[in-house]
Amino acid sequence: MPRLPLGPWVDSSVDWLQAQLAWLFDAVSAAVTGLYDGIDAVLSAPEPLLFAGILAVVAWWLRGLSAGVLAFAGFALVDSIELWDDAMSTLSLVLVATLVTLAIAIPLGIWAARSKTVSAVMRPVLDFMQTMPAMVYLIPGIIFFGVGVVPGIIATIIFALPPGVRMTELGIRQVDGELVEAAEAFGTSPRATLLRVQLPLALPTIMAGVNQVIMLGLSMVVIAGMVGGGGLGGAVYRAIGNVDIGLGFEAGVSIVILAMYLDRMTGALGRQVSPLGRRALAKARAAVAARTGAKVWGHRPQPVTALVGVVVLALVAGGMGFLGAGSPATATAGGGKNTGHGKEISLGYIPWDEGIASTFLWKELLERRGYEVETRQLEAGALYTGLAGGQIDFQTDAWLPVTHAQYWEKYRNKLEDLGSWYGPTSLELSVPSYMKGVDSLDDLKGRSGEFKGRIIGIEPSAGMMGILKDKVLNDYGLKGEYKVVDGSTPGMLAELKRAYDKKEPVVVTLWSPHWAYSTYDLKKLKDPKGSWGKGDGVHTLARKGFTADNPEVGAWLKNFELTEKQLTDLEAAIQQSGKGKEQEAVRGWLEKNPGLPEKLTP
Amino acid sequence: MSRLQADHLYKVFGRRPDEAVKKLADGADRDELRADGTTAAVIDASFVVEPGQIFVVMGLSGSGKSTLLRMLNGLLEPTAGRVLFDGKDLTALSPRDLRTVRSTKISMVFQHFALFPHRSVLENAAYGLEVQGVPRAEREARAVEALELCGLAGWEKSWPDELSGGMQQRVGLARALATDADLLLMDESFSALDPLIRRDMQDQLLELQKRLKKTIVFITHDLNEAMRLGDRIAVMRDGRIVQLGTAEDILIRPANDYVASFIQDVDRSRVLTAASVMTTPEHPAPDSCGCETVGPDTLVADLCAVSARVPHPVAVKDTDGAVLGVVPQSRLIGFIGDEQRPPLACATGTEVISHA
Repeated sequence: MPRLPLGPWVDSSVDWLQAQLAWLFDAVSAAVTGLYDGIDAVLSAPEPLLFAGILAVVAWWLRGLSAGVLAFAGFALVDSIELWDDAMSTLSLVLVATLVTLAIAIPLGIWAARSKTVSAVMRPVLDFMQTMPAMVYLIPGIIFFGVGVVPGIIATIIFALPPGVRMTELGIRQVDGELVEAAEAFGTSPRATLLRVQLPLALPTIMAGVNQVIMLGLSMVVIAGMVGGGGLGGAVYRAIGNVDIGLGFEAGVSIVILAMYLDRMTGALGRQVSPLGRRALAKARAAVAARTGAKVWGHRPQPVTALVGVVVLALVAGGMGFLGAGSPATATAGGGKNTGHGKEISLGYIPWDEGIASTFLWKELLERRGYEVETRQLEAGALYTGLAGGQIDFQTDAWLPVTHAQYWEKYRNKLEDLGSWYGPTSLELSVPSYMKGVDSLDDLKGRSGEFKGRIIGIEPSAGMMGILKDKVLNDYGLKGEYKVVDGSTPGMLAELKRAYDKKEPVVVTLWSPHWAYSTYDLKKLKDPKGSWGKGDGVHTLARKGFTADNPEVGAWLKNFELTEKQLTDLEAAIQQSGKGKEQEAVRGWLEKNPGLPEKLTP
Repeated sequence: MSRLQADHLYKVFGRRPDEAVKKLADGADRDELRADGTTAAVIDASFVVEPGQIFVVMGLSGSGKSTLLRMLNGLLEPTAGRVLFDGKDLTALSPRDLRTVRSTKISMVFQHFALFPHRSVLENAAYGLEVQGVPRAEREARAVEALELCGLAGWEKSWPDELSGGMQQRVGLARALATDADLLLMDESFSALDPLIRRDMQDQLLELQKRLKKTIVFITHDLNEAMRLGDRIAVMRDGRIVQLGTAEDILIRPANDYVASFIQDVDRSRVLTAASVMTTPEHPAPDSCGCETVGPDTLVADLCAVSARVPHPVAVKDTDGAVLGVVPQSRLIGFIGDEQRPPLACATGTEVISHA
């Protein structure tokens, strides 16, 4: 079989689309961002507990008192674990994605229900959208729309669209043909038939579709978090990257609370808005009332009462937000002169410790000098794509020339290398220090029984895995004796934690700098033959043209350097102060290092 | 009051319907066409429904009667032929004009009621008026009126799923009557009901018809129903109308064996009237005997009861009291038994000759 160049075709068509339709993508991006910002502003404005109250009243109205109480408890929990803002971002993302999805899906579903041809053409397209792994179109999404919430929302829309279309089509097709005929027999126009007969009767099915759309949207937030969507997805992604089981669970539970709330509310709303559903509800209520009398927990207020409750809470919330807005924004601290004059700079980072530390260090330093700094947490591929596309100004965590070589090769023409600020890094195999007598790679020979013949690896695509399998094992005669377990970085770290806590023998692939060295007592196995090669430097990369636009910042970044002690201290300070307080940790650390800001940003 | 005329209607489903119509007009039958993958549902149907008449189309399932009905209001477009309503050719109308005709002049009652489950009884009855754009207050008043007419006063606020089948069909009927359409198309409207309720509804329809004088096309597969309701009846088989006439025509002169096999099960005594069984008196009957007499429209079933009480042949008189004829008991029994010959003379050794 000849090789069909399908991949290259896609590559070139992506390039072509990017070049030709940039205006369209920009417009879509601007519209979606505007919608998202608007909804997020509304959702984040009220006091968390007040807004939780509003949501609880809605639940009370739609499902009853117990649902209201549970909803309030759930959202209060989200607030108390300090994930409220993330939850609201996620809620906004899901709402925007849902709105756009429905705006597309329902007309498409109606069209498909009316035309067999459209239905037949649409089916494979929908299959494609639903089953194509999201990461495959996320990267092109970043190329088209830039990093941030937009590609996340677009990916969510693509993923969530099919059930919306299918359920709409199904709902309309399910409507009894005799009823449609009756409508026609009384001279109803096709449009009025749709509005008066087909849609009202299809509504329960369509609402089930809406419910599906929302649920699928929520299941995509983690993936959206990997491309800078932030919110709970970002928290989960960061937690996975750092094996922060606690944070992962907290964020996960918050997603579950949101999901359950949205699921139950859309389900109940479906029954409320559809005449048939209201009819069924009334019947059920009559039956229950006849049997047992009214129950307190099932009590539901009149819509008017609920509306008044929501409005009062919203007014209180609005009033407080208005008063709150009166308090002045925190002024920039520090003595340096204002060089930035409010100029905006966007930083991207992979949630690795040295990336977080250096990014927030620079955020603090630049803000002290009058810049407006925005930080975005991204997955590596998304980060490089965003940088090359110019949506990110610079990032401080490029491992060159080895580890990130592929990205550098692909995007070198669109990037500026501002040099290494830390190094050399090293790649190694490590064991816990309780493994007596294992100090060098040579010592692994003959002890495979102890380690169960396994070296715990990371992603098979990572550069160091290739070096390990092809070179290191051969050089030390370990091939055949040990098997390298492919997996993921979080998986490797989880296995390390498990074994470490039980004091079991374990050997893992690791690199320096890494927080694992400060968290656990580990030994880097010596490499007398130099098989791992020379280490990388941690480089700062900027988008093309950044230094020309910002000569001062460019010069500062070029001269940026940290010692191992400085970096590990800073990482430790951030670890101690916890998630969401990175910048405060940086401030505390800078106080203990007087003179450093002046040195880094003269 | 409107006159409805079907003029050589054809409906063919499948590919190249026009060719199929040509073949059918040349005498090809349904089975020949089926081999080509085309289905002839209605073949060359022509009839006239006079204003105020109930015209019944009778046939078994697959005979094409429902397709025929749907061509009358344009739900299906005829492959060939015309439908003339009040002298207007419905088949030539634009979709928009056709919808106007349907919303104002023709209404329909369905087999499975086809009530909108998301609308109350009142909203269902008012549906046709809503489509016409009649203001709410007026359409609700007219819907209430129509519901009253159908015996559903007080049920306006109920929902269709709370009603029995018979009551649901009354709502269907009220919905059709509310628009004041002249032509009522009824598609097996009573077939889904219990026999007792069906009878009830038939009586009510006849009662309403006396007052409203609509033009009605009624579809059924039940010949008894056809004969009870129909001023004229068309019997359909395999897409063709095989006989067209009054109930008595069909009963007394079935056009072919197919129709004859149908009428075997019909309760003749409830179809035939005194006028069709009477004979001329052999000698002028005494006007003065004072015994019970009957009118020419009296059903044979009722005539039997009179005959049992009267010691001689029952006289049939018109409204002026003039004697039109007489019905001897032997003749009455002969008609019920479908035996036209006079009694035979007794043969020796045989007691009674009974007719099966």
